[in-house]
Order: sequence, then C-alpha cells, then structure tokens
Amino acid sequence: MTDIARLPPAGALSDLRTRVRRREPVDWTGIAFLTGLAIVILLPLIVTAVWAFAEVWRFPAIVPQRMGLGYWQETLTRNDVWQALWLSLSITTTVTVISAAICFPAAYAFARLDFPGRNVLFLAFLSVQAFPKFGLIVATATIFLTLHLVGTFWGVVLIQLVGTLLYMIWIPVSAFQGVDRRLEEAARDVGAGPMRVFWSITLPQALPTLAAALLITFVSTFYETDAAWLIGLPNVRTMPMVMISFINNALEVQYGAVLFVFLWVPSFVLMLAARRVMGADAFAKGLGG
Amino acid sequence: MNRREFLMVSTAATLAATTRFASAATRLDMYTSSDANISDFFSNIIKPAFESANSGTELNVVIARPQAALDAVVQRALAALSAKADPQLDFIEQYDPLLPAGGIDAGLWTDFSKAGLKNYGTLNKLAIQTPYGLPYRGSQVLLAYDTTKLAKDKVPKTFADLVAWIKANPGQFIYNRPDKGGSGNNFVNRVVHEVSGRDPSKFKVDNFDQATADDVLGKAWAVLNDLAPSLYDKGAYTAGNTASLQLLAQGAVTMIPAWSDQALQAIAKGVLPETTGLVQLTDLALCGDFSKAVIPTNAAHRDDALKLADFLLSQEMQTAIIEKLGGFPAVDWSSLPKDLHDKYADVIPSSIPTFPQGKWTTAVQDGWYRNVAPNISRT
Amino acid sequence: MISAPRSRVGGGGLSGLLLVALPVLLLLWLVLWPVLQAFVGTLYFPGKGFSAASYVYFFSDAYSLRNLWLTLWVTALTSILRVAAAMPIALYLRFRTGSIAALVQSLALFPLFVPSVLVAYAFIRVLGPNGIVDTLLVAVHLPKLPSPYLQPAGPIIGLVWEGLPLTLLLLLSGLGRVSTASVEAARDLGAGGVTIFTRIILPRIQSSIIVALAFNVLGLFSAFTLPYLLGPASPEMMGPYMQRTFSDNADPLNATTQAVITFAFCAAFGLIYVRAIAKGRKGLR
Repeated sequence: MTDIARLPPAGALSDLRTRVRRREPVDWTGIAFLTGLAIVILLPLIVTAVWAFAEVWRFPAIVPQRMGLGYWQETLTRNDVWQALWLSLSITTTVTVISAAICFPAAYAFARLDFPGRNVLFLAFLSVQAFPKFGLIVATATIFLTLHLVGTFWGVVLIQLVGTLLYMIWIPVSAFQGVDRRLEEAARDVGAGPMRVFWSITLPQALPTLAAALLITFVSTFYETDAAWLIGLPNVRTMPMVMISFINNALEVQYGAVLFVFLWVPSFVLMLAARRVMGADAFAKGLGG
Repeated sequence: MNRREFLMVSTAATLAATTRFASAATRLDMYTSSDANISDFFSNIIKPAFESANSGTELNVVIARPQAALDAVVQRALAALSAKADPQLDFIEQYDPLLPAGGIDAGLWTDFSKAGLKNYGTLNKLAIQTPYGLPYRGSQVLLAYDTTKLAKDKVPKTFADLVAWIKANPGQFIYNRPDKGGSGNNFVNRVVHEVSGRDPSKFKVDNFDQATADDVLGKAWAVLNDLAPSLYDKGAYTAGNTASLQLLAQGAVTMIPAWSDQALQAIAKGVLPETTGLVQLTDLALCGDFSKAVIPTNAAHRDDALKLADFLLSQEMQTAIIEKLGGFPAVDWSSLPKDLHDKYADVIPSSIPTFPQGKWTTAVQDGWYRNVAPNISRT
Repeated sequence: MISAPRSRVGGGGLSGLLLVALPVLLLLWLVLWPVLQAFVGTLYFPGKGFSAASYVYFFSDAYSLRNLWLTLWVTALTSILRVAAAMPIALYLRFRTGSIAALVQSLALFPLFVPSVLVAYAFIRVLGPNGIVDTLLVAVHLPKLPSPYLQPAGPIIGLVWEGLPLTLLLLLSGLGRVSTASVEAARDLGAGGVTIFTRIILPRIQSSIIVALAFNVLGLFSAFTLPYLLGPASPEMMGPYMQRTFSDNADPLNATTQAVITFAFCAAFGLIYVRAIAKGRKGLR
C-alpha cells in the first residue's frame, strides 16, 4: 500500500499547487494517465470495434482482409434488438428508482441510528451477492411461480431489485458515515432545522458517493442476466440477453462486436453525466468551496 | 451437391427475427440453447412448416443461450411441478433428460415411448438412450486441420497415427475441456474407446460400474497425460468448441477435434479459411451424438408439443435436417427416400459410434478434471 | 427521516427499524429464506437425519481444497492490483479539473460497460496467441510474446481490467470527503506528499477502501466467465467449480456445500467491513 501511495499524492499535490497558482499550461500527469489508459483500456475496445466491421481478419494481417457493413445490417434490422433495448432501459430505470427510494433512507438509518439488530441486518445484505445463484434457483422460482410473476415485466423488476440491495445499502452507508458531523452541528447551532441540515449539509456531502452507487446499480442492472433468464423467459428479453445469445458460443464474434459498439453511445453519454456529479467540481461544491 | 455447398446455401438465409406477438392462437414455447445455426433452422424452416401444418398453433422459438440460462429454466420447470404452476415451457429442442438430478424420478419429463407418437417406431434404435429424450438430429466429431501446415496425404488416419503426429509436432494440437463442449468430450471418449478395445457397445447408459470405470478410465488418463506435454502450451485446454475453432482460425494450432456441422459452417462463413481440411479416423470414428428433445409433463401445451415432436421425425423434417442443416437423420435410413441416401452416402455414414450420457459421462468429465487437467508442466 | 438526525445514537430505535423495513423484508423473503433452505438442505436429509458428510468430503478432498486455495490467492492478488491501479487515478481525478481529467475518468470507467463475455473475446483477440499484440510485434520484426491465454495470469489480467471502474468509483467517492482546504492547510504546514496521504487522506477514505475490498472479494469469489474462458482447466476458481459440480456433475448437494463454504469466506470479510463501520460511527461522533 505504501509503495503505491508514495508517488500519486505528490502528483496530486503538485496539481493542487498549480491550481493555487491558477494557471498550468500542460497537465503532464493527466497525459501520462491518458496514454496508459489508452493502451490498456482502448486497445481491446478498438480491436473489438474493428471486428464489428471485419468480415475476414486473420493473422498476420494488421487490418482485416475484408471489411463490410453486412453484420451491422443483419443485427440492427432485427426488431427484437430495438425492442430489447427499450425494454432494458425501462426495466433498469424502474429498478434503480425504486431501489433508491427504499434503500437510501435505510442506508441513512444504518449509518446514523441505533436500533436493535442493526449490525446483523446490515451484514445480512451481503448474502445478496455472496451466495451463488444456482443454489437459490428452485426456491426463488417457486416464489415467483406462485405469484404468477414468471415471464412478466414486474417479475424481472422485483428479482433485479433484490440484486441491487447490497450496492444501494452498503455504498451509501459509507457516504452518510463520512459526512462531517461538525458541519451539521454547526448548522444546527445557528438555528437550521433538521430537514434543512439534511438538504444543505448532509446530502451534498454524500452526493458523490450516492451518485456512484446509482451509476453502479444502473449499469449492473442493465447487464444483469442470471436472474433475468430465470424469471424473464419466455416473454421478457432484455438487451444483454439478446447480446449474450449472439456472443456465446457464436462462431462469428462480429454480432457481439456490433451490439457492443452500438451500446457505446449511451454508455459515453452516461459517463459524461457521471463526471458532472462525480467530478472535482462537484466535490468542491459539496464542500462549499 | 455436397454438404459444404448446401451449407453455404442454408447459411445464406438471413437470421429471421423471432416473432413475439401473442396472438389468440395457442403459443407453443420452444426453447433452445444450441448454436445460432440451430435456432435459425427452427425459425426459418421448422416454424413455418409446423404452423402451416397445424393452423391455430404458433411456434415461439425462445433462445436461451448460454446453457446456464436453459438450466435455470429447467430448474424452474421442476419447481413448477411441485408448485403445480405453469412452467411456461412446452418443449426443449435439446436437453439431457437425465438432468436435473432427480428430474425423471419426480416425473418431470414425458416418456416418449408411451406418448403415442406416430413416427416413434422409425427412430434409429442406436440413437435412443432413454425414452425421456427424443433424438431427432445427429452430428459427429472429426478432426479439422490446417492444410497449409499439414499436407492432406500426411494427415493421421488412425488413433495411433494421431498420437504419433501430436508427439512429433508439439504445441500444434488442442482439445477443449470435456464438459465444456462435445468436440473435446468425444476426443476423450475416443481415448476411452481406444483403451477398451474399440468397442463402443461396451458402454451403455445403464451399465456403469465403478470397478470397470476405475480400470478403463485409469488407462485413458495415462494416454491423455502422456499426450499433455505435446499439446498446445504444454497441456492447455480451451473452454469450448468455438474457442478451439478460433485457435485454429488464428493459426495458433494445426489440428483440433471439431463437430462436423460446426466446422463446415465455419468454413462456409469464412471463420475458418478455405484451406481447412477435415478428416475422420478410420480404425474407429470419433463419437457423434444425437440431440434429444424433451417435453415436461406439466407443460401447458403438452399435446401440441407432442405434435411438434412427431413432426420433427416426419420424413419432410428429417430430410430438411440432412439438406438444410448438414446434420444426420435420427430415423432409420430405411424410412427415408432411397435416392436421398444415395446422394449423401459419401458424407453421412450409416451409423456413428456414441458414448452414453449419465454416469459414464460424469465419470469421464469429473475424472478428467481430477486426473488430467492438473498435470501441466510450465517449464 | 426528519426526526432522525436529532435522535442521536441510543434513540431512534423505532424510526430506524421503519426506515430499513422495506429492504430488510425483501431480503428476508427473497434471499435469506432461500439461502437458509439451501443451507439446511446440506445438513439435514428428510428420513435420514443430520449429516455433515459433504463438508467432511470437501475439506478432505485435495482437489476441492486446491480450488479453494486458488480462489483465495487470486482474490487477494486481484483485489490488491485493482486498488493499486485505481488509487493513483482516483487521487489525480480528485484534485484535478479540466478536459483531460474528464477524458481520463471516462476511459477508466469504460470497462463498467463491457460485459464479461466481451472482455474475454477482446482479451483473446488482443493478448491471445496470434492476437493483435503478436500481429504488431511480428509486423516490426520482433519475437512474439508468450500469451497469458489459458495461463493463471489470463483471468487475473481480465479481472483487474473488468474490476477497475468499480474500485475507482468507490475510492473516488471516498476522496470526495477529503476537503481541499485540509490538504492545503497541511501543505502550508510543510507536510510532504506521503504524510498528507497517510495522515489526512487515508483516514478519511478508510471505509471506502474497505467497501472496495469487500465488493472485490464478493465479486471475485463468484467470478465465473473470465476464469472459465481465460484460465487454465485446473485448478478451477470456485465460481466455475461450483457451476460444474451443479450442472455437469448433477450434484446439487456438493455444489451447495461449496456454495455455503464460499459464503462463509465472504461473510468473514463482510464482518470486517461491518466492524469498520461500527468503529467509524464511534470515532466520528
């Protein structure tokens, strides 16, 4: 840990200093990170993207021997791809909103209030992820079958909602935990009501972490398939279900590559939005300076 | 017209979108986890033919890949059996009826021998392992190789030649983990056949016995461990049929075991180069397998599902399996037109060796993980 | 909610319970109850009574123990590598604004949007035998690199790549709590980079690091796709091993036993997090 720690803070601090000095012509640290990440993160993605346009690409050619849009046409003219994308977005949004509504207050309670069984209940949320799904299939299926939720939109929403509980409780707890109590007390001392304290002190400080939890939940719900297969089939087919059935054991990697490149656009928009909430600007705002 | 040509014709057909409109008609939910060529075959050929023969019935082709997705749906059907609920599953195009554990005892699968199917009697008797699964198409494993590195006249034709070739060309052969795909599994099964006197009839679905298994499999592990250092990366094993095909396509290895239909299709689609050669061992062929359809006893539309089962065995559909899919028929050749047999005599053998599912397969697969997979030399 | 902050510790029992009621009930109904059933099913057999035979088998079976051991060290190594890779990026992003920082963040978070199956395919195409790295090396007449595909390093590289965004997000959100003012104040007092990191930053983000580690352990213990597609056939990580026992060996009893054991390891790690939270609650009051 210390080895890793040695360099970066120095870099971060030199950044700080330059910020104090107001102007810095070149962000060398940033460029170094950018170059490293470009090789590590972008190279595999670019290779995948090229595959989406390749019809034949064999070693040792650097560029595909034959390129074309054939796979794009075949994939995107399918009705079910568009239906699945729309369905996935509505399921994922519904799950994330409901999850935030029930989990954030609970996380607040876990972080700040004392009630019987708090630690045990808190620990219990771990079982959402720590117990492998196959062991629960029969029991879960029985519950959903008796409620007639198999193959329905709300059935998938419910099962995926359960899958989000861990992220949406554990991560926000660390957020509410980390809020500086002295600021809250100071605000109360000058006469702010509890609601006011929550909205103008607690929430802004917790916001970056809450946003991280929301982003992780949204993306992991979007790409969740295990529970969706079990409860969704035969009527509900989400985007990743379509995607994985294209990719898994397919001879042609192109179908998967096309769908993947196709999802880049919404992903990138989401990411830029994330920077808004998670960026240094937001931190500064949250801390009032 | 040979198999390669008709495969190109059939793969030229575009993927048809699965219709998802719930009409007033009966909707038969048919699941498949097989590769895309099979689900396309159902959507483009079987669905229209079946629907026009049975008006008022809609065949809903539900794609459940990967296998784990289908396993979950089958567990769900088992749960539905005890909860007396609708499993929302009427037919599975391919599933091992011996799974899930306790499924047959619980009465999950329909016994086809007692279901009154008109065409049941025409089935190739060798294809039937249990009455709970209905064989309807077959395929076989063979060896696919790169003819630019291994000339057609030098290719091994017997198991002994193959072993000699692998050892003489270290790093050029790979097979996949036996539980992750039939091509690697049937290569291992071929080794089991080799060390037990090349008689596939010795292994039956109901004659597993631990002592014989220990003896025979022990010998098979010895052969495989002897080969391991000469394999790709000194004893690495790919995670599935397609992973092996891709190593061959990348030129990383020279020879792999592969499913015949998958290899032909890979060549037709340009995934494997035109210079790929295919060969079968002549002393005893690598095993093949028949895909078995299953119908849950609690299916909401069981009668229609049985109609579909019967329909798949009809002369019309069995012919389509040969001509459009490049597969083997599951019915006896005697119940198919003679000119069809003559036309494909050189590409489709009249019988193929098989290996029983159930305990034998489990013993081979788990035993392989414990006895062969760990012996790897990284030096 | 409104009365919550006022109630301080010691009070708020009822409102606390009410606030957590919905998620807890969902959890009890759809997760804990099925988990309990599965657990009891490995120990109690109707008509035969209690038996812990499957547990005895697991802990006396060298093959199973080797798989467990592999899972433990891959988990430890991968978690450390993820935090090591994410920490410098997080520190940079925390104290920097501008378009380059926005790009760095977008790039580093991108793997979040790439499903595991695709990571595996991209990996094989890039680092696999005769992949793009080999292609480029051959093009400039350099020897090929030994490929990590199907080697123990294969899944580790894939898992670090895949898990980077989650770790980064958690660290970044923790760093949001480190106020710029406190760092600047320490700077003015002449503290060096290392001192600031260990004295000012580290204590504030401790819980985020522990959350990140906890999520890493949970995710890695059940990792399936990457170890199975990229790693060697044996030893297996617990994820693929359990799945194989369950479906290929059709052995739900031993598979569930493996699941319970895996669960116990994860729970032990979860306990560390819970204790850290409890300690933090006291410390910050």
